[in-house]
Amino acid sequence: MKKKILNAILIFLFLSVGCSQEQPAQKIDLSKREQVILREDENIITYAYLPQYSHTVSYHRHHLLVEYLRKETRLNIKQIFPDTFNKHIKMVGQGRIDISYSNPFVYVKIANRYGAGAFSRVVEVGNRKNFRGQIICRSDNRSIKNIADCRGKRLIAVDPTSAGGYLYPLGHFYNHGLTKSDFSEIAFSPGPGGKQEKVVLAVYAGKYDIGTIREGTLKVVSDKIDINEIRVVASSRWYPGWVYSARKDLAPEIVEKIKKALLKLNYKNKDYKPILQAADIMGIIPSDDKDFDLVRKLSAKLGLSL
Amino acid sequence: MKLGFRSKIYLGLFSLLLLLGIVILFVVSMIMKEALLEENRNRGISIGSILAARMAEPVLAMDFFRMKTLVDETVRLSDDIFYTFVLNDKGKPLVHTFKGGFPIELKEANSVSDIHKYSIRLLDTGKQLIYDYAFPIIIDKDRFGTIRIGLLRTKIQEVINRLIRSTFLSTGIVIIIAVFVGTALALPVTSRIKILHKSSEQALLGNLDIQVAPLLKKNCWEIMNCNKKECPAYGKTYHRCWYIAGTMCPDCIEGEYAQKIKSCKNCHVYYRCSGDEIQSLAESFNSMALSLKTHLSELQNAEKTLKEQQQLLKTVLDATPDFVFLQNNKSVYLSANKSFCDLIGRQEKKIIGKTDFDIFSERRAETYIKEDHNILKSGNPLFKECKISGREGTKWLHVVKIPVYEADGKIGGLLCSGRDITELKRVQEQLAQAQKMESIGQLVAGIAHEINTPMGIVLGYAQLLLEEVKPESQAYNDLKIIEKQTRICKKIVADLLRFSRRTESTMKLLNINETIEDVLTVVEHTFKLDRVSLARRLEPALPAIVGDNEKLKQAFINLVNNAFDAISGEGMITISTHYDAQLDEVIISVLDTGDGISSGKIDRIFDPFYTTKPVGKGTGLGLAVTFGLIQEHKGKIEVESPPPAESNDVKSSGGSLFTIHLPVSGEKKEMEIEDVKHIGIR
Repeated sequence: MKKKILNAILIFLFLSVGCSQEQPAQKIDLSKREQVILREDENIITYAYLPQYSHTVSYHRHHLLVEYLRKETRLNIKQIFPDTFNKHIKMVGQGRIDISYSNPFVYVKIANRYGAGAFSRVVEVGNRKNFRGQIICRSDNRSIKNIADCRGKRLIAVDPTSAGGYLYPLGHFYNHGLTKSDFSEIAFSPGPGGKQEKVVLAVYAGKYDIGTIREGTLKVVSDKIDINEIRVVASSRWYPGWVYSARKDLAPEIVEKIKKALLKLNYKNKDYKPILQAADIMGIIPSDDKDFDLVRKLSAKLGLSL
Repeated sequence: MKLGFRSKIYLGLFSLLLLLGIVILFVVSMIMKEALLEENRNRGISIGSILAARMAEPVLAMDFFRMKTLVDETVRLSDDIFYTFVLNDKGKPLVHTFKGGFPIELKEANSVSDIHKYSIRLLDTGKQLIYDYAFPIIIDKDRFGTIRIGLLRTKIQEVINRLIRSTFLSTGIVIIIAVFVGTALALPVTSRIKILHKSSEQALLGNLDIQVAPLLKKNCWEIMNCNKKECPAYGKTYHRCWYIAGTMCPDCIEGEYAQKIKSCKNCHVYYRCSGDEIQSLAESFNSMALSLKTHLSELQNAEKTLKEQQQLLKTVLDATPDFVFLQNNKSVYLSANKSFCDLIGRQEKKIIGKTDFDIFSERRAETYIKEDHNILKSGNPLFKECKISGREGTKWLHVVKIPVYEADGKIGGLLCSGRDITELKRVQEQLAQAQKMESIGQLVAGIAHEINTPMGIVLGYAQLLLEEVKPESQAYNDLKIIEKQTRICKKIVADLLRFSRRTESTMKLLNINETIEDVLTVVEHTFKLDRVSLARRLEPALPAIVGDNEKLKQAFINLVNNAFDAISGEGMITISTHYDAQLDEVIISVLDTGDGISSGKIDRIFDPFYTTKPVGKGTGLGLAVTFGLIQEHKGKIEVESPPPAESNDVKSSGGSLFTIHLPVSGEKKEMEIEDVKHIGIR
């Protein structure tokens, strides 16, 4: 009897041990060390998308396009991700961004400051060659019914260099008699990337009464929040869309190759359609610097330095 | 060493708790270990997944500062995060938390494919175990690199060990508490059991005056307030009323415990006085002891009576001359009386428990067993007479075997009784002989009486003729022969008549010495011629006896003639007389130095017509006539051959001694006369 009990206990212990999920350990020697040195590839054409959204959205939107350009031009084009609008602008100035895809306001800045030249611009979804900004608030905010109600409110904008997310709505406010001093507070999206989304989320959270975004942003954040909770108070007038520009010293033949490849993209072409859909554009058309004089004028009217 | 009940409880409790503790400890520690490892795994996965998600932006931006910040922050999250690093899509380290270079082997130590969310490997650095987690950095289905996090297994093990120690400690504390609680619970139980044990030992030693049950706060007579001092339960503080018969409460039922307990259980005295199982046991033990004492006393009295009866029965059985024994249905001896023991020459203890095969020869035992079997089978008793031979000679036994029935009517054994009827058999034979001899005597007396007259006529005519014929003539000689033979015939007839007591006796006082001297004077001369001398040892002052002088002379003549005939050649016949004052008898003895009488013949020498002499020498009536004459004088005659040494002065091994006892008063006590009648006509 005692033997049976002992056997039962041993079997129980054995089974219990057998139930363990422990795996055999792999021997490893941590004493063998090396220094980490990363070597950048040479002859890279850097492509940067102004970080109005998060890097991952930027990547999602443009990595097929960059891939297309790499194949089409046989150039070693690589997408890079500057964290902020200012950094983007500076990197163009530093020559670290060869091809810049930016809003018109940033473009006029890099053109004015560093001599970048526009060579094409995009056709927005809806086949619009222009885009505009939007002024939003929470749907349940009864104190804001029209643009005049925005006076004295807390405002959050995308970035001081944002076109749709700051410049265009600010022009709209200006046209309705509201200047920056008429708001109790003007804040900008914090941190790197995802700046458009952050404006919507800040208004949605109630931290700010109103926000300024480019049109189309609500669609981007529709998977994060219930966009019915957000109401568009007003939209700005239409301005030229996003623009491709090359840094001042980039070889013209490279610019031409890239421009040619970009203009080749046709939404009706089944091979190019996914590329354009990912980038959330309908197509790319030729452009030059004078297309953005309107933006220069608006900046001047608002007293913004370029 | 035998464990006590208390020790067993402690040991059992301790073992049980220890076993339980070990099992719980093991199971809990296993569960905790698994849970901790699982938790650790999940934590690692959680940290890694978050880091991988957070790392997407810096990796895209190649923001080494943010990447470095993120891996450093991750390591700082917890002590058990040993390292964190990021590999690019080519497997080269982008940032890491190691100081003094990146461990080369670590790059390849773990990998994760694009389709898996993570991969875990256990690494052994020799000093510690590390769970290495690998998470792919996937952006829009493209692989940008790998996050690797190392969590120290040692830290988890420390937590596990701490938990095991805590569990072990808790189990130990629980065991100690349980032992204390168990002790507190077991102590009253074991102490009461100990008291019960001691009481049972006392009971075994014979002391039944034991009081095990506890005293109550209130006894039944106090609860009922009855004050019935005549109630058997009154005043018995150690006994409960429901165990006592004959209690006098109105609701009490007559009878013993078995009859009244059902009713008692509804009584409020029972509710108040009854306790737990051990108290009930002690109370029932008390009552049992009391009952046992009563029954034991009765039993002892019964045993005493039984012993007395047994002793009485044994005395009766041993006193009876009949042998008695009892056997069971397997023929095993259960009892035997003294006579049976004497008969078979064995002690009683060597008979009891034995069978016939142990006591008798196989042949005889088989016979007895067969008889027993028939009796046990049929139930019919057996009556038989049997003759047995042994060292003490042959004996006749009358045996009765009867079956003994048990209470259920079955035969449980048999009782055998028997008696020695050897003497009866002998007397029966003697009686038959005596009857035969009596018939012969009557016949002889008749014949003698009838012959006596013709013989007288024959003798008379023969004597008349002798007077008429010349003595020298042939006729004279023939007549002489006729006369002589006729006289012989007349003597035989006279002897026969004397034998059959047909002659008249003339009883008078006489001196036996003179009668003897008369006889000896007649025969002495004749005996001397044949060199047989006579020796006289006659006590001079003998008392006179009453008798017929002639008949006594005839008796003595027959004896001395018989003695003379027994002596072949030279010899001596010693006649002595003396008076036995105690028996008041005159004793006459005739001792010869002859050939003696063989043991086979000595019993028959007084029978009529029995003779050892040659044909023509004796009639066989001499000693028979002598016997009859002495009997007529209310005396008795005995013979011993060879004679006892003290009676024989002559150094001779042979001879015979005839002794005659004659009563002085001429009368005997009735009993003695009866004895003589029993002896017969010897």
